[in-house]
Amino acid sequence: MKQQTEPLTDAALISRVKQGDERAFTALVKRYEQTVWGFAFKLCRDKEKAEESFQDTFINVYRKIGQFDARAKFSTWLYTIVANNCLMHRRKRKLDGLMESYDEAPDPENESVQKQLAAWDDSPIHTVMNKELRARMDEAIQELPDEYRVVFVLRDLEDRTAEETAKILKLSVPAVKSRLRRSRIFLRHKLHDLMAA
Amino acid sequence: MKRTQPHTKIHVHTLSCGKVYEHLCENMDAKLDSASCRRIKAHIKGCTNCSALLDSLKKTVFLYKKYPAPKLPSRSRHKLFAVIKLDGQKKSSAR
Repeated sequence: MKQQTEPLTDAALISRVKQGDERAFTALVKRYEQTVWGFAFKLCRDKEKAEESFQDTFINVYRKIGQFDARAKFSTWLYTIVANNCLMHRRKRKLDGLMESYDEAPDPENESVQKQLAAWDDSPIHTVMNKELRARMDEAIQELPDEYRVVFVLRDLEDRTAEETAKILKLSVPAVKSRLRRSRIFLRHKLHDLMAA
Repeated sequence: MKRTQPHTKIHVHTLSCGKVYEHLCENMDAKLDSASCRRIKAHIKGCTNCSALLDSLKKTVFLYKKYPAPKLPSRSRHKLFAVIKLDGQKKSSAR
């Protein structure tokens, strides 16, 4: 009977790559390509830029694998490289000018904004996820400054912990939490008129 | 679902929407059971505005999670291996 071989761990693959095993690198790429591509796309919201980031990330991994600390988590290192690549490719926007629009979000203590806090539609997702909503979602997330969007994507879409996100972005945990809070409020505010019941 | 009781009524009444708002999105699904968490949960339960805001924040995240992301184009991997001169189509022993 043919025996099933257990897949190698990341650490074992990386160790082989460090010794020049090209097949191990191929296996590593196949294991993480969808993660890298998905994360790059969610950050860039553009196939061409995500493709560029995908290429740059794995080329960087191939060239710098010798510097990777075997005790660290490989996925954390990968996320760091993708984030740096994506952010580097984008124009650095000044936060100050944009923070004004963040403050458009409603203050729940102000009675005049109670209408804005009306409950959202409870319709099933497939009925509300139409072309208009998708366009609005794209527009809203692209309006988020890079430094905020990357936190939202890592925490809420990639399900990284606040601690891992902080490590990836070299931020403090309170900074991650604050950016996440503002990002969620901002996005929610941008979708509100389409979603209110 | 079992209702979380606040520590005291005074705590619920002294906690403002503004204070709740600050913490609302930090751990939207947290099952933390600290005193402050219980106070926030108790406030939300009794406050239409805060509960609507929390619900819409959860739906915002849910919508983005469900937004379909495109699959990696097959040419991307071939292009990568070509650039770094690897043959990704080789039968790999290191799976």
